[in-house]
Amino acid sequence: MIVALETRGVVKQFGGLVAVNNVDLVVPENSIFSVIGPNGAGKTTFYNCITGFYTPEKGDVLFYGESLLGLSPDQITYHGIARTYQNIRLFSTMSAIENIMVGEHSRLNASWAEAIIRTPRMVKEEKAAVEEARRLLNFVGLAGLGDQAARNLPYGAQRRLEIARALASKPKLLLLDEPTAGMNPNETAEMVAFVHRLRDELGISILLIEHDMRMVMGVSDRIAVLDYGEKIAEGSPTEIQNNPRVIEAYLGKPMSEYEA
Amino acid sequence: MKTQLKSSLNAGITFGIVSLFLYLIGFTTTASQIIQNLLKLKPASTVLGMDSLTFSFALFIGLIGLWAGVNQARSQKGQPFGTVLLSAVLTGLVHGLIVALAAYITGSLNASGVKMNTYLSQLLPASVKLFLFNQTPVLGALSQLAFLTLTALVGAAVTYGLMVSNVFGKLADAWRSMWKQVNAVPAIAKFRASPYFSYVMYSLLLLVMVFVPLRAGQYWNYTLGTVGIYVLLGLGLNIVVGLAGLLNLGYVAFFAIGAYTVALLTSPAPHGLVWNFWLVLPLGILAATLVGVLLVVPVLRMRGDYLAIVTLGFGEIIRILSKSDALTWLTGGPKGVNNVGGPVLFGWVFDDVSYLYLIFLSVLLAIFVTRRLQNSRVGRAWESMREDETVSRAMGINILKHKVLAFAIGAAFAGLGGVLFAARNQFTGPEDHNMMVSINVLSAVIVGGMGSIPGVIAGAFVLKGLPEILRELENYRVLAFATLLVVMMLVRPAGILPASRRKFEHENAPGNEGSKQ
Amino acid sequence: MATESKVNKKKVSTYQIVQIILGVVFGGYVVWRLYQILIANPVYGPDTWLRFAIAGIILGSVYALVAIGYTLVYGILHMINFAHGDIMMIGAFGGYFVFEALKNIQTPTLADPKLNFLNAHPVISVILAFVVGVSVAALSGYFLERIAYRPLRNAPRLVPLISAIGASIFLENAAMLMFGAQRRDFTNPLVLTRGEGWEIPVGGGTVILTYTGVLTFVLSIVILVLLYLLVQRTRMGRAMRAVAENKNVAALMGINVDGIISQTFILSGGLAGAAGVMWGIHLGLVYYFLGFIPGIKAFTSAVLGGIGNLPGAMLGGLFLGAVESLGPAVLGIDFQLKDVLAFGILVLVLIFRPTGILGEVLSEEKV
Repeated sequence: MIVALETRGVVKQFGGLVAVNNVDLVVPENSIFSVIGPNGAGKTTFYNCITGFYTPEKGDVLFYGESLLGLSPDQITYHGIARTYQNIRLFSTMSAIENIMVGEHSRLNASWAEAIIRTPRMVKEEKAAVEEARRLLNFVGLAGLGDQAARNLPYGAQRRLEIARALASKPKLLLLDEPTAGMNPNETAEMVAFVHRLRDELGISILLIEHDMRMVMGVSDRIAVLDYGEKIAEGSPTEIQNNPRVIEAYLGKPMSEYEA
Repeated sequence: MKTQLKSSLNAGITFGIVSLFLYLIGFTTTASQIIQNLLKLKPASTVLGMDSLTFSFALFIGLIGLWAGVNQARSQKGQPFGTVLLSAVLTGLVHGLIVALAAYITGSLNASGVKMNTYLSQLLPASVKLFLFNQTPVLGALSQLAFLTLTALVGAAVTYGLMVSNVFGKLADAWRSMWKQVNAVPAIAKFRASPYFSYVMYSLLLLVMVFVPLRAGQYWNYTLGTVGIYVLLGLGLNIVVGLAGLLNLGYVAFFAIGAYTVALLTSPAPHGLVWNFWLVLPLGILAATLVGVLLVVPVLRMRGDYLAIVTLGFGEIIRILSKSDALTWLTGGPKGVNNVGGPVLFGWVFDDVSYLYLIFLSVLLAIFVTRRLQNSRVGRAWESMREDETVSRAMGINILKHKVLAFAIGAAFAGLGGVLFAARNQFTGPEDHNMMVSINVLSAVIVGGMGSIPGVIAGAFVLKGLPEILRELENYRVLAFATLLVVMMLVRPAGILPASRRKFEHENAPGNEGSKQ
Repeated sequence: MATESKVNKKKVSTYQIVQIILGVVFGGYVVWRLYQILIANPVYGPDTWLRFAIAGIILGSVYALVAIGYTLVYGILHMINFAHGDIMMIGAFGGYFVFEALKNIQTPTLADPKLNFLNAHPVISVILAFVVGVSVAALSGYFLERIAYRPLRNAPRLVPLISAIGASIFLENAAMLMFGAQRRDFTNPLVLTRGEGWEIPVGGGTVILTYTGVLTFVLSIVILVLLYLLVQRTRMGRAMRAVAENKNVAALMGINVDGIISQTFILSGGLAGAAGVMWGIHLGLVYYFLGFIPGIKAFTSAVLGGIGNLPGAMLGGLFLGAVESLGPAVLGIDFQLKDVLAFGILVLVLIFRPTGILGEVLSEEKV
C-alpha cells in the first residue's frame, strides 16, 4: 500500500484551547478517507494544519513520505494538495474559466516579463491552459458556462466549479470540506457519484470532511472520527456505525437512528 | 399616509440642507454667474423685471425646487394625482421654509451691517442679497418660500404626467429596440465581437493622438499633457489597486522620486550634474521601482487598511523630507529645483508638441504592458488576490511575490510620470507632490472603473480635463471629486466604464458585461 | 496508541533575522544617543527635558481621545474611519464659534465696562464650548455613518474605505469653502491665556505647567475613564462589545445592530469633538485642515496600542505624544521632522509587532 498522506501526533493549540490533539491518520493512495465529528471537533483546523495555514505545535505531516512542516500554503499546493471550502470561496467577479485558470497557476511557468513580450512558449502555454480549463469545465458538467461570472452561477454549479478549480492544479490529494453542505438528497447522491468518479477516473486520493452521514457512509473507504480535537475512532463505515464512543459523541443516539 | 407624510418631510429637510449648504459654500452665486454666462446675458440687462444675475439665480434655485418636486413624484409612483401633488407641496414648503429662514436671518444680519464673511467667508453682502432676489429680507424670504413651493408643485405635476404617459419608458424602449436591430445585423455583430473592432477604435484614437497636438495650441497641449501624465499614473495605480487590490494612498511618493531623480541629475542647481535626459529617464523609473519594492516588503504582511495608512504616511514623509530645511542641500528645499533639463533628440529640443507625443507614447506603452499583464498568469493571480487572498494562497500563488510585483510595476509607471512631468515643467518642488495628487489619481481610477483601462482614461479626463474646461468651478473641484467618490461607491462601485471580462467561449457567451462589485 | 510526537521548533525566517538586525541597529542607536545626550555632553538641562515630556503627554492625551474613536469604530466595523480627524476639526470649529459668539455678548460691570461674557463667566463658556463642539461632532459622526458607510455594510473591503476617504476630503473642503482657508486664532477666556500657568522651579530653570495644558490633560483622563466604564459596565457597552464580537449572533440575541453602530459613531464623534475643542483651546489655531495630521497620528496611536483595544489606544496616544516631543531631541533630528518620526514609528511598529503593544482584539477568524 502506498501512503498518500500521513499525520503523526498532530497538535494544534489556540491559547489554552487544544483544537487538534495528537491526531494520527494514514490516507492510502487512491482511497476516499473521511473525517467526521460534531461541530467544533477541530476538523477544519486539522485541514488548515495539512494545507499549511497553521503550523502544528507538535507532530508531523507527511505527504508521500515527505514532511510538509514549515512549508507555506502555496508551496504545499505545488507538492500536489488541493482543497475546497465549506462555505464556497470562489473568486466571485472572475469568470468560471478564469477561476479554473487561477487554479492552474502552480502548473504554469510564464513570468511577468514573458507575459509582456509574449514569447511563443508563453502563448503556447496560455492556449493549453484555456484548453485544459475547458476540459475541466466539461468534466464537472459546466460546459458552456465558462464566461459566466462565478457568483452568477447557481449554488450546485459553484460547488462543482470549486472542485474543478482545485483539480486544475493536478493534485494527488484532494481535500473536500463538506462538499454537500446545503444540498438536497438528490444533489447529494450526485455528489457521491462524482466523488467516486474523481477517484476512479483521475486516480487521486480524497480526504473528506463531512457532516452528512448518508454521504459519508456511502462514499468512504475509511472513516476517522474527531471529538474535541481527538481521534476517538477509526475504521470502515460499518465499524464506525457500531462504535459506542462515536454514538456517544453524536448526541448519545444510535447511529442508525441519526442516519435516518 | 403617515409614511408619505414622513417621506415628504424627510425629502424637504434633505433638500433644505442641500440648498443651505450650496448657499454657505457660495455655490449659489457661482452657479448664477455661470448661468448668466451660458445664456449670454449682459450684466446690465433685465429679464422679466429682474436684473440678469437675479434672473439666473432664480433659474438655478428654481431647478433645485423642480428637482425636489420631480424626486417626490417619483418616490410616490403609483399614488393618485392628489396625493402626489400634496406631498410635493409639503416637500416644497419644508424646503422653502429652511431656505427662507436662512435667507431671512442672513439678510437681516447683512442689512444691520454685520460682516458675516469674517466667519462664513462666502457670505459676501452681494451673495446674501442675491439669495434674497435683491429684495428686503422679509420679501426675499417670502419669495423663496413661495417660489420653491411652486416649483416643487410644477415639477411633481409634470413628472406625474410624464410617468402616466410613460414617455421616457417608451423612448427607452424605442432606443433599446433600435440598438437591438442594429446589433442583429450579422455583419455588425460579428464586427463588434471581432478583434478588428478594437483595432479600429485604437487606430481612430491613434489618429486623434497624432493630429490633435499639431492643432491644439500651447495651452491645450499643456493641459492634454497633464491629463496624459495622469492617465499614466492612473494606469500604474490601476495595477496596484484595481488589479491587485492593494490600497496605496501614497502613490505620489513614487511620482516624486521620478521627478526628483530627473531634476537633481539634470539641473545645474543644487548639484551641478547636467546629465543627459535619456540616461536619467530609466534611472528615474528604476529609482521609483526600487523604493517601491523596499517600502512594500515590510508592509505587505499587513492587512489592506494598514497598507493604506502606511503608504499615506510614506507619501507625506517624502514630501516633508523634500521640503525640510535640513535636506535643502540635497533636494533644493521648499523652493524646489529649477531649470530641469529636457530631452534632446538628434539636435531637436523638445517643444510642447513633441512633449505631448512623448507622453502619448508612454501612455501607449503603459496600456500595452497593462493589457499583456492583465491577460496572463500574473494578472489572474493579482485579481484572485484582490478577490480572496487566503484562497489565492491555497491555489499555489505566492502572495508576497505578486504583491511586490504589482507595487513595483505601479511605481515604475509613476516614476516615468514623474520624470516626464518634471522635465516638461522644467521644475519640480514639494508642492507638486502633495497628497492631493495621490487622491486625484485614486479618484480617477475609481471613478473610471477599477481594473479597466478605458475607465482610467475616462477618469483622468473627468478629473484633470473637465476642470480646465469649467474654470469657473475651480473652487468646487475638490469638493465635487470628494462627493463623486462617495456617490460612486454608493451607486456604482464598479465605475463609469467597468472592467469587462475577457471572453473565452465565443460560441456561448451569455451577457456578463457591466459586472458590479 | 499515538506515536511519540516530536515538538516542532519554530524556524527562524529571513524576515525575522532582518527584524532582529533592524532592531539591534535601531536600539543601539537610541542607547548611544541617550548616552551622548544625557551623560557625555548634555545639551539640555532637566528642566528642558521635563518641558518636552509635559508637552508630549498633553498632546498625547488629545491623540488618545481621537485614537479611541478609531479603535471603537474599527472594533465594530473593521474599517478605518478615515474621516475621523475631520470630525475633530468640526468639533474645534464648534468650540471656536461658541467663544466668538460669547465674546460679542457684552456684560459690563462697574469695575470693567468692557467685560464680555467669555471673560465674565469663563467656566460656563468653556462648558458651553465643549457641549456645542461635542454635539456638532457627534451629529456629524452619526450622519457620516448613515450616509457614507451604512449602505456599504456588506460591500467588499475597499469600497467603504474609499467612501471614507471621499467623506474626509468632502468635510475638509466644505469647511474650507464655508469658513475660508485662513488659520483663525482661537480666542480663549483671559484666565485660560495660552502659555500662562503654574511655574515650577526645576534644577536651574522653571517649567510652566500651563492652565490650558492641565485642563486638556485632566479632562482627557476623566473622559477616558468614563468611557472605559461605559464600555465595560453598562448595557450599551455590553451590546457594543457583543456587536464587535459577532454582528449576526448579536442580532439574534435581540441587539439592534444598526442602532449600536450609530451609537458607536456618535460616541466616537463626540470624543473627537472634545479633542478638537481641546486642540483649539490648548494650541490656539483652527482651520479646515486641522484634523488631518492629528487624525493620522491618532490612527498611529491606535495601531501602536493594538487597534480595537481601548486601553491600548490610550497608552498608544500618550506614548506617541511623548515620542514626538522627546524624540527629535533624543535622536538628534530636526524638529521640523517630528511628523516623519511619527510615521516612522508607525512603520516600525507594523514591522516588529503588527498587533500593537497590547495586542489587537480581533474577533474575525484570520483564515
